[in-house]
Order: sequence, then structure tokens, then C-alpha cells
Amino acid sequence: MINKAKKLIKDFGLSEIRAGMKITAKQLTNDKITVQFPEERTPISPRFRGLHALRRYPNGEERCIACKLCEAVCPANAITIESQMREDGTRRTTQYDIDLFKCIFCGFCEEACPVDAIVETHIFDYAFESREGSVIDKEGLLKIGEKHEKAISKARLEDSKYR
Amino acid sequence: MVDIEIEIDGKVVHGNSGESVISIADREGIEIPRFCYHKKLSVSANCRMCLIDIKGNPKPQPACSTLASAGMKLYTKNAKAKAAQKAVMEFLLINHPLDCPICDQGGECELQDVAMEYGSDVSVFNEGKRIVADKDIGALIHTDMTRCIHCTRCIRFGAEVAGIVEMGGTGRGEDLKIEPFLSEGIQSELSGNMIDVCPVGALTSKPFRFEVRSWQMNSIQSIARHDLVGSNIFTQTHKGKVKRVVARDNESVNETWISDRDRFSYQGLASEKRCLVPKIKVNNEWREASWQEALDFAVNGIKNNNSDGSKFGALTSKNATLEELYLLQKLTRGMGSDNLDYRSDFANPAAANILKSSISLAELEDIDHALIVGSHLRLEQPMINHRIRKATLNGASVSAINAQTFDSNYRISNNLLTAPQNTLATLSGVLKAVLNEASEKQPDYLNSVVVEQAHKDIADNLLNAENAVVILGEHVNGNPDSDGISQLVKDIAEASQAQTLNVSLTSNSLAAEQVGFRPVNGKNALEILASDLNSFVMFDIYPDFDCFNPESAIENLSRSDAFVVSLNSFEDDSVLKYSDVVLPIASFYETSGTHVNIDNISQSYSASVKSAGDSKPGWKVIKVLADLLEIQGFEFVDSCEVADEALSMTPSTSVARAKITGSEIPEISTVWQCAPYSVDALVRHSSSLQETQIGQINVASVSKATAKLLKLSEGDLFKGVPVNINNSVAEGCVFVHTYQPRKC
Repeated sequence: MINKAKKLIKDFGLSEIRAGMKITAKQLTNDKITVQFPEERTPISPRFRGLHALRRYPNGEERCIACKLCEAVCPANAITIESQMREDGTRRTTQYDIDLFKCIFCGFCEEACPVDAIVETHIFDYAFESREGSVIDKEGLLKIGEKHEKAISKARLEDSKYR
Repeated sequence: MVDIEIEIDGKVVHGNSGESVISIADREGIEIPRFCYHKKLSVSANCRMCLIDIKGNPKPQPACSTLASAGMKLYTKNAKAKAAQKAVMEFLLINHPLDCPICDQGGECELQDVAMEYGSDVSVFNEGKRIVADKDIGALIHTDMTRCIHCTRCIRFGAEVAGIVEMGGTGRGEDLKIEPFLSEGIQSELSGNMIDVCPVGALTSKPFRFEVRSWQMNSIQSIARHDLVGSNIFTQTHKGKVKRVVARDNESVNETWISDRDRFSYQGLASEKRCLVPKIKVNNEWREASWQEALDFAVNGIKNNNSDGSKFGALTSKNATLEELYLLQKLTRGMGSDNLDYRSDFANPAAANILKSSISLAELEDIDHALIVGSHLRLEQPMINHRIRKATLNGASVSAINAQTFDSNYRISNNLLTAPQNTLATLSGVLKAVLNEASEKQPDYLNSVVVEQAHKDIADNLLNAENAVVILGEHVNGNPDSDGISQLVKDIAEASQAQTLNVSLTSNSLAAEQVGFRPVNGKNALEILASDLNSFVMFDIYPDFDCFNPESAIENLSRSDAFVVSLNSFEDDSVLKYSDVVLPIASFYETSGTHVNIDNISQSYSASVKSAGDSKPGWKVIKVLADLLEIQGFEFVDSCEVADEALSMTPSTSVARAKITGSEIPEISTVWQCAPYSVDALVRHSSSLQETQIGQINVASVSKATAKLLKLSEGDLFKGVPVNINNSVAEGCVFVHTYQPRKC
């Protein structure tokens, strides 16, 4: 009986709405924590593990030497590499595919790479237009690397003292 | 050899006095790191990695050169030993580059493995590393000499096993370089083993370079089929392709070595010339067909051309598996025909090859004299030659009756140059000499034989040896007197109480003998190829190489009334010329099967990879053909059942004594020897083997006097082969050694 009366007072006294409004009033005066994505972006750690990229040396030579350590370490078997001797006698990949549906973004590939060729960039807002689009090939990865080389090398530099 | 007791790491173990400590430890499963020690090579103790602590000894000692003596107490893992091993490791890593990620040895590298355990994780070495220029040493081995740690295994392998000192160390200390002495590169027929013995990535396989990493491959136990040893191998595959072949230990067969032919032939599998789809010839036009259509076409052709079966003939290559030979034999006999043979390259396949081997491969090492009759053993049977070489290192002597003095890797003390047409006379002389010396009764046919001093010398060698062997080589196959020669070899061996070894029946010929793949009353290979039979099954035959007289064989098979079903794994123009159907079959490593080796050991293996394209394993194709021809008794589910049935056959052993009568003696004869890297279709399509010096052998050797008779001069072409005039050839014969197709 008493409980019923208490509930009636609570409901008709709008106590919950008042509690909500109290928080709203408080936040009106605080700084905003949301950003206008994609025009504005929140800061990310240099160690952030997003979309993959293959890097090149400043002279334009691709870094990857087809050692296949990333392929071996990948826990999701997302990486497929075929290698061959290039005409100049160096060891190079003929195929380097990453299946992003398989990838779990653990960053092991990046860690295993002896020449910092495969890296995970800060890009996380990407979409595929087809199912096959989930597999990025060597060309695609190199393109991402070329496009974002500045950001990639900056992140490596920032993180270098902890590596 | 006395059995002694020593203690290693507190464990009491037994060994022989005089045995090295490291071999006892290996047997007991106690791990000692090493680089220069190899169980089949001499001890050089120069890497110092196997240092161990011996109680009572002030300094650690290398386990490989320390001989065990009774009561020794050894510590392989105590602080002193570990410290010594770590120090050595540090020194080795000073100059070793850190290029494991691009090194083909990475993942199976002894240095890498040992460094994981004994290496330091931080380098304190800041000085420059040594860099050594590489040399091109041929098409098979790639060098990265900067990686070399100077263990000298390759040098010792060349000097002790291959018998050709090709690699050597020049300079001292920091400047020591391991390099080939000659600019032509490595020429040994066993050179590929250097890749296996190299503990680091200094010597790696050239065809395999940068293809896949070692951890990506599956290793499948298999048998090499190019010679009659049946070397044990691992085929290493990746994504359904054979990527590499490495040796598998089998002390009684190939020890730890394999020949280059066995190691690099796999490249032929990826050749563009593979037969991938069935083809049929309709109105003289070739077109591709489905299996069903091609099989129906083949079966109808055979049936229409062949009402009672007696007009049917089957020929096979010596490389077929036991199963394929058995099924084809059963099919042919099921058709009611006895025209079948595997000896299509024999000059005279009429009679049985009567010589049976009486000595096993392992026993060959204990002989003290060998007489080689007509064989270029080093190139044709490298693993058997290796055993003989081992015997010579233990003091055995070797004599030979050959048409040419061959480049051998041991000394042939007594080389009797004999042209093929004179072989019978020479052997008769030797037999007479042996019987004379042993004062035994002579058969009548030896009455007119003249014994020369050279014959006596050979007879003396045989009789003085306690443990001799007479080896009958492959040249007998091309000799019309083959029967008599085999019989004489047998008689000589019997009279001198020597063993016999018949290396003339190569690859899987002994399996063919096992299943009776030779006519009893029917036509033999020569007769089949010259006969008026009108339906044929040709199993893996490439007439330009496999027939004694390719030209006439092709011509006869191309008759309009001859219906030829060919089963091939490689495309061949001559095959297309005479065939009506070509059924693609699996090549080596793509089919399961059994190899019967010279010791009569049958070794079965499974398929390492799926057969290329639409091709099918040969035994299955023959089985289906038999089913379609409505022949009974082909209810096999897998090749093991076929092998069981084939091995339960008892081959006929009673062979009549051959008559020792020479055939018509030509004044000048030809010995045609196929170069070792052209003996079967797979090696012929292996590009790297073809690039080697052995693969490029192409010479017709002839003596000065014979050249004059034939009006040949240096550089002329003799049957398409450049002539070389030298004195190493017997008078009255031209010795052709070539990779080119055979010309009669």
C-alpha cells in the first residue's frame, strides 16, 4: 500500500525528468566532448592499428623483401605472399594480399617485419563496395603507403623511443 | 673396437674406443652444437662449436675430435662448456650477416638454430663486417659467400665424397675465402649435396632461390626413379607444386646423398611441354577431347583393329612404376597377346639378360677389386659409383673393359680399351686367362681364343682379390652380342669366385623383370617396332630417345593400318606423328607407385602432388582401358593392391645358357650413350640440369686412326654430334655421348 503511494508520487512528481534535466543543465556549461566527424577527428595514439600499407624507401624502392615473416606470424592467416627473384637479383614479392575480413588488426605483421615494410596506418574509416574488395593486393597496399607516408613515418618516429 | 663406458652429463653410455665423443652423444640423443662435424665426412674440428668440458682437462675440448676412452667424464652443458660455446658463437656471428629474412636457409639453418640457444641477444660488435664477393658456380648452386662460416664441409665433401676437389680455401685468417678453384664452376654429378651439407645459407639451391620459405612446405617421403638405386628423398611441396627435393637418410640405399639428377629433375614437372588433356586424331587432325571420348576412341580403335588380340603389342619405358608395368602386362596378356617389352633401346632384346646381381649396395664398400665392363659408371649410376669409390679409398683397385677411358673419380689401374665388336673376344680372353690361372678345365669354345697380356693382368687382379665384383654396364644394351657378353661376365665371375653386379638394367627395369614384362613366345621390342601388328599401347615412350632405331620405329608405327594409343606425360612431336590417341598421364612424384632397386628392395611411395592439368596416374588409365576392353581381373581400388599382386608374382628365374657366338662383326661400330641428364622425359625438361656441363655433353669421340678411316676431322658432325679426335677411345669405334636424340 505504502509502496503504491510512493510510486504514484514519483511518477506524477516528474522526479526522473528532473534528474535528467539536472545533468543537461550541468553539461550546458561544460566543454563539448563530441567532434564533427569526418571534418573533425579525435587524436589517436601513434600505435593505433588501422588499415595496412606497404611502404617504400625514400628513393622509391619498395621495402618488402618477401621474407614472409608476417605471413608466418599472422594468427588469422590473412596474408598471402608469393615471391620470386626480380631481374636485378633481389628477393621481391610477386603477390602480397591481405584479406581484411580475416584480419584481426593485432599488429603482429608490423612487429615481425624486419624492414618496416608492412605497417598499420591510422586509417579506420574505409568501406568496400564489393565482397572481393576486402582483399587488398600489393599495388593497393603500396598506394596507401605512398599516400600516407608522411603520417606513417611521423607515427613511427613518435613511437620509436618505446620500441 | 672395444666396448667402453663413458659418462656424459652424468648419464652412463656405451661406445667403442676410438669413436668420437660427438657420435656417441648423437646416438644417445645428447645434443651438442656443431657446424663443421658431419657424420659422413672427416673430422676437421675447425668451427670449435662443439667444445665440451672433460673432467680433469684444464681447457674445453672439441667433441668431434676427442676420442672416447674408458671412464671419461664429459659435461656438455655445465658452465664451462656453455661459456666456451657462447664465446665461439659470438665469434662466428661477428662476420655473419643479419640477412636471415632474405636467406633461403632461414628457418632450416643450423647457425640460426644454434644462435637462438647460444647466441647473445645484444651485439657488442660495432666494427665493419667482412664481405666476400660471390662467384657463379653453375646452374645448380647459388653462392652467398659472405654468409660462409668456414666450416669446410663443402671442401671435404668434394674431396672425400664427390671425388673432385672443386671448392677450396684460399687466404688465411680474416682473408680466408671458400671458393671454387676453377672458373667453370662445379662439375660433379653429386654437387647438390653441398647444399645439404652447408650449415648456413652460403650454398643454396639455385632453382629454388626465393621461391618459398622452408616452413611453408610439406615434406613427403618419396623415391627417386632415375637410376636403379631408388634413392630415398623428401619431395617438398607448396600449394600442390613440388618446390624442392632433398635427400632422406637410408644407410643401405643412398646413405645421406642423392645425385643431382634426382635432386633437380623435379623442375621438369612445371614444364610447358606437359601433356595436360587427352588428344585424338580424327581425319589426320589432332583435337582435344574429354577423357570419356578419348578412352572410347582408344578402345574402339584397339577392338576394330584387333579381332583376336594377337595383333596387339605393348611397349613401356623403364621409368614406369611396378604397378603400371604389372597392369599393362596383365592387359596385354588379357588381350591374348604376348607382344610386350620394356627394352626398346636394346640392340638385341631377343634373349634374356641372364646376369643377376649377387652383391648388395652396402657390400660394395667392402670389395677389394672391381672389374667394370662397359659402363660410364660415374655419370650413369652416381650412387653406385660412390660406393665403389669408397671401396677404392679403403684400398680396392678397379679395372675396366670400356670403349673409352672415362673421367672417373678414382684410379682405374687397368683400363682395357675395347670396341664393342671386340668385347666378346676380350671377355673370352679374360675368361680363358682366369681358367688357366686357376688351372680349371676350359669349355670348347675357348680353344681358339688368344690370351693376351692385358687379359692376364685383369685375370690376375680378379683372382688375387679376396672379394671381387664384376660389373656389367649399360653399354651392353647397345651391343648385338649382349647375350654372349652377359654370359661371359657370369662365367668370369664364377671362375674367379667374384660377385656380380648388373647395372645395365636401369631405373625400374627390375620391376619389369619382376612382373614378366617381356615376351615368352611373342615379339620383343625390336620385333614389335618392325612388325605388322596393328594396335599398340605405348606407355611413356619417347621414340627419339627410347627406341634403338627411332627413324624406322616411327616410320613403321605411322602406317595407316596401325592404331597407336600413347600414354605420355610430356608432349613430343614424334609421338604425335604415329599416335592416334594421346592420353596424358602423371609424371614422377604425381603418382603412387613402387620402385624395385638393384638390391631387389621394392620401395613404395605415394604421390607428392596432384597430377598436372587433366592428366591421370598411369595405373588408373591402364585399369580403365582394361575395364573398357572387358578384360577380367582389374578390380583394384588403389595402387597398393596392384603392388601386392605384382610382388606376389614369382618371376621366372631359369634362364638357358646363352651361346657365345659373335654376330656379324662390323669394322667400325658406334656406342651411343645418352647423356645422364637426357635419360628420361622429366630430366630432359629440367631447365637447370640442362644448363649444367653434364647436361650439355655432346661429343662423338673417335681415335685418330678410326677418324681417318671414316674421313672425319675435328669438329665435323657425326650423326649430328660434333667429332672430337682423341686417344681415349678404342680403335674401331665412335663413342657418342650426347643429349641429342638417338640416331641409328
